[in-house]
Amino acid sequence: MTLPVSLDEAVAALTAMPAAVPVAGGTDLMSAVNSGLLRPAALVGLNRIREIRGWQYQDGHALLGAGLTHARMGRPDFAALIPGLAAAARAAGPPQVRNAGTLGGNIVSAAPTGDALPVLAALEANVVIAGPDGGRRETPVGHLLAGMDMLQPGEIVGFIRVPLLHAPQVFLKATGRTGPGRAIASVALVLDPARRGVRCAVGAVAPMPLRPLEAEHWVAGLIDWDGARGLAPEVCTAFGDYVAAACIPDPLPAEDGTEPPPLSPAVVHVRRTVAALARRALGRALA
Amino acid sequence: MTTGSEAATAAPAAQGHRPPGEPAPHGLGSSLPQSDVRAKTEGTFPYAADLWAEGLLWAAVLRSPHPHARIVSLDTSQATEMPGVHAVITHDDVPGDPNHGRRVADRPVFAKDVVRHHGEPIAAVAADHPDTARLAAAAIAVEYEVLDPVTDPETAFDAEPLHSDGNLIRHIPLRYGDPDVVGEVIVEGVYRIGRQDPAPIGAEAGLAVPRPDGGVEIYTASTDPHSDRDLAAACLGLEPDRVKVVVTGVPGAMGDREDVGMQLPLGILALRTGCPVKLAATREESFLGHGHRHPTLLRYRHHADSDGRLMKVEAQILLDVGAYADYSAESLAAAVSFAVGPYVVPHAFVEGWAVRTNNPPSGHVRGEGAMQVCAAHEGQMDKLAARLGLDPVELRMRNVLATGDLLPTGQTVTCPAPVAELLAAVRDTELPSLPKEAPADEWLLPGGPEGAGEPGAVRRGVGYALGMVHMLGAEGADEVSTATVKVSGNRATVICAAVETGQGFSTLARQIVQEVLGVEEVRVAPVDTDQPPAGPAAHGRHTWVSGGAVERAAKMVRTQLLQPLAQKFGMSTELLTIADGKITSYDGVLSTTVAEELEGKELWATAQCRPHPTEPLDDSGQGDAFVGLAFAAVRAVVDVDIELGSVRVVEMAVAQDVGRVLNPRQLAARIEAGVTQGVGAALTENLRTSRGVVRRPDLTGYALPTALDAPDIRIVKLIEERDVVAPFGAKPASAVPVVTSPAAVAAAVRAATGRPVSRLPIRPQAAVAVPPSH
Repeated sequence: MTLPVSLDEAVAALTAMPAAVPVAGGTDLMSAVNSGLLRPAALVGLNRIREIRGWQYQDGHALLGAGLTHARMGRPDFAALIPGLAAAARAAGPPQVRNAGTLGGNIVSAAPTGDALPVLAALEANVVIAGPDGGRRETPVGHLLAGMDMLQPGEIVGFIRVPLLHAPQVFLKATGRTGPGRAIASVALVLDPARRGVRCAVGAVAPMPLRPLEAEHWVAGLIDWDGARGLAPEVCTAFGDYVAAACIPDPLPAEDGTEPPPLSPAVVHVRRTVAALARRALGRALA
Repeated sequence: MTTGSEAATAAPAAQGHRPPGEPAPHGLGSSLPQSDVRAKTEGTFPYAADLWAEGLLWAAVLRSPHPHARIVSLDTSQATEMPGVHAVITHDDVPGDPNHGRRVADRPVFAKDVVRHHGEPIAAVAADHPDTARLAAAAIAVEYEVLDPVTDPETAFDAEPLHSDGNLIRHIPLRYGDPDVVGEVIVEGVYRIGRQDPAPIGAEAGLAVPRPDGGVEIYTASTDPHSDRDLAAACLGLEPDRVKVVVTGVPGAMGDREDVGMQLPLGILALRTGCPVKLAATREESFLGHGHRHPTLLRYRHHADSDGRLMKVEAQILLDVGAYADYSAESLAAAVSFAVGPYVVPHAFVEGWAVRTNNPPSGHVRGEGAMQVCAAHEGQMDKLAARLGLDPVELRMRNVLATGDLLPTGQTVTCPAPVAELLAAVRDTELPSLPKEAPADEWLLPGGPEGAGEPGAVRRGVGYALGMVHMLGAEGADEVSTATVKVSGNRATVICAAVETGQGFSTLARQIVQEVLGVEEVRVAPVDTDQPPAGPAAHGRHTWVSGGAVERAAKMVRTQLLQPLAQKFGMSTELLTIADGKITSYDGVLSTTVAEELEGKELWATAQCRPHPTEPLDDSGQGDAFVGLAFAAVRAVVDVDIELGSVRVVEMAVAQDVGRVLNPRQLAARIEAGVTQGVGAALTENLRTSRGVVRRPDLTGYALPTALDAPDIRIVKLIEERDVVAPFGAKPASAVPVVTSPAAVAAAVRAATGRPVSRLPIRPQAAVAVPPSH
């Protein structure tokens, strides 16, 4: 176990020992280690790297440290900045997990139920990756989650670049219980008044967050951006159904023209849940 | 070697914070604090997983990844040769009986030829490090021929037998009354109950230490040490007196908390290696190995007249036992006997079956049998009320059982049965306020504080349930317990093999001795099998039989102590009282102290308590099978987000028939724990399998209620009508809230959504009350 104090030191430690695994909050990694699923040759602890524990501002963006904990993101000062991410952080797990689990860890472990991920997808965030010899490169979070871009040996997620939109953002999550639980489905919705856009991402229903682009575009065109920004309830309902149908489509008819089997009741429930969440999220964002 | 078992059960009376001058709680009826509270909260309580012995080896168990497979070959050579490995054992190395079991010896110590459930032990390793042991276990080469698992209990009847005695463990055809009666109103229902795991705090752990005489001592958190000892002795091929089970601190249990299948390899490994051997199971192993609540399929048909009086109940009950019988025959008897609930039913026809499958093993979990049928018969009562247009409480009131009525087993209810009073108590309790009466930021909506709950989609529902459970073992089980009480100086000691599982027995034993002997300082000795047996900690039996034995022994000591004095003064011992260590006569003339009277002597007495005998159910399910019954009424109030199907239980109001309150605080804690467990069974707790393979055997996948899921629990009435046959008149209190609460939650969700709710736990899609938009 090494405990570097800067990103470049961490990268150097990983380059020197390629079998080592970086660990921040350890909420996913250590449970895998404890249950014997993972036996890392060595660990590189990231918790002493001060530069990734906070955030800074860069021309209309916030550069969030990958080591920001969910507990920190849930606090009011952060919520004033990026309310959607703050809501997702507060909804993620019990306090013990929120105190340890980090934003970067949420991206790297890439669990389908990772609560921050749909918000980052809706915000179209970029990941800043630190590499050997002080190298930095940036890639959209979606590319990393989709596997279009991969972390190379020796690379670490350093920062997440998130636009500051100065407009309502909503994160809603349906779980099976009142206490902390994994999402059955979650919806993140952000308004981008400068670009006159509505961006929405649905989490937990697929291996990575899904963006219903047509539904976003359709509803953005109906909003009076310079006026009261309100929409009729029927429009919100239609948006919810549009999002749900886009993320959980009906099975295509078979090539021979026979009727496809209907969706299973469990899938119908998830679709209905997504529709309700998206409708509520839009309603709350425009309220 | 330090095992810590001394401190585990023998901690001195914890002194709570009390204003000075106020007397300490003392004797029966007072809220004496539990003796282990302090050690548990300070983290010094020694659990089995903390045990240590010089030179100990670590054990690991290789478990089957398949629910049903033939073992083609088993090669341990690679594991045996690994450095640090001291022994590798398989079914060939079991020195005694290769099979064990609580009732039927059908469960192999290690699978031989065939595995019958996911997680069944196949081999075990002892090594000098836990990782070495685990790696060696993984290095055992097993070739399986995977077989088709029997996972649907309905197909088990016709499936290939999983065991030589077939797949049917027991069939009870209960016939009571006239089969040709037909009601004016008939309602039918099918109900499914999921697999609740006891999920005890602290997974199984134990230490086995070989003895110089060739025997072995097993340190474990057993709840039935004598039965575990007998099982271990048979499998180890030793006389029972060469095996000693020492009970360590029990972190909490309901029913059998330990997987005996883990203690047996430990004993064999200790004998094999001549070294102490320790095993601490992972949570995953714990989920796979120990017994679960029986998943149950129930089909019901209720007949009633147009006034809502029950005329006939027909039911079919199918219990999924898993591969091994365990106590399932008893669980089935409870399910069949209580199939109609605490109602008067003149005609009942209930068929019950318990069948083997390749699903995870089922066993003894608090309220087994009774809990599953309660969810079903209460669902039927709601359905009947809806059909008749009657208020569900009113319908139940018209049918409630009372003392003197008959159960469908033909047994007369002789104990207090204040069912109507219990129901009235929860009915007449004020409902909790609606969220809109509080500021919006204080609302706790379904889905939790950061959930997606929307006030406009939330509906409130109120539901009622009545439940019953039997106390003590049934059907002729010998429910004896033995206790010894010793007094020396101003201090008394209780020696009784009743295990303190968190149910409060050690506290109760102290209260009883304080009450009878007036001695303030009472110590309860740690439990091992050198003491006479006290039986399993189940069905509330220790309050009754072990408490009764302690009381008798204490009274015998009292007589010994007072007899000489009484004789000297020519009065009977009843005219003398003992309080605060002083003996006084009724007229106050005589006054001396206990210590003075003892003159340095020690007084010992041992006594037994054996409740009146019961009889097995006969071929038509008839017989006086139960010693006593306990009842409860629960009113659940839930909020449901009817679009998402998320449910929050707002409040549970409980009225319970307790006989007599022996320790108010402890009683409240037991009821609250039972209700919370019931809420878990109603909403989230279900160990899911897919084709017999347990999915996600961890505490993230298996959702226990958290503080946010646990509702406000209001104990609105405790009816203290003493049960004359029970010592102190007290009824065991832990099981009946577990039995009744899930049914009440289901009734409330039904009321909120209008959906039938016939499956527990209630899945969100079953609580959605809007049609799908597509």
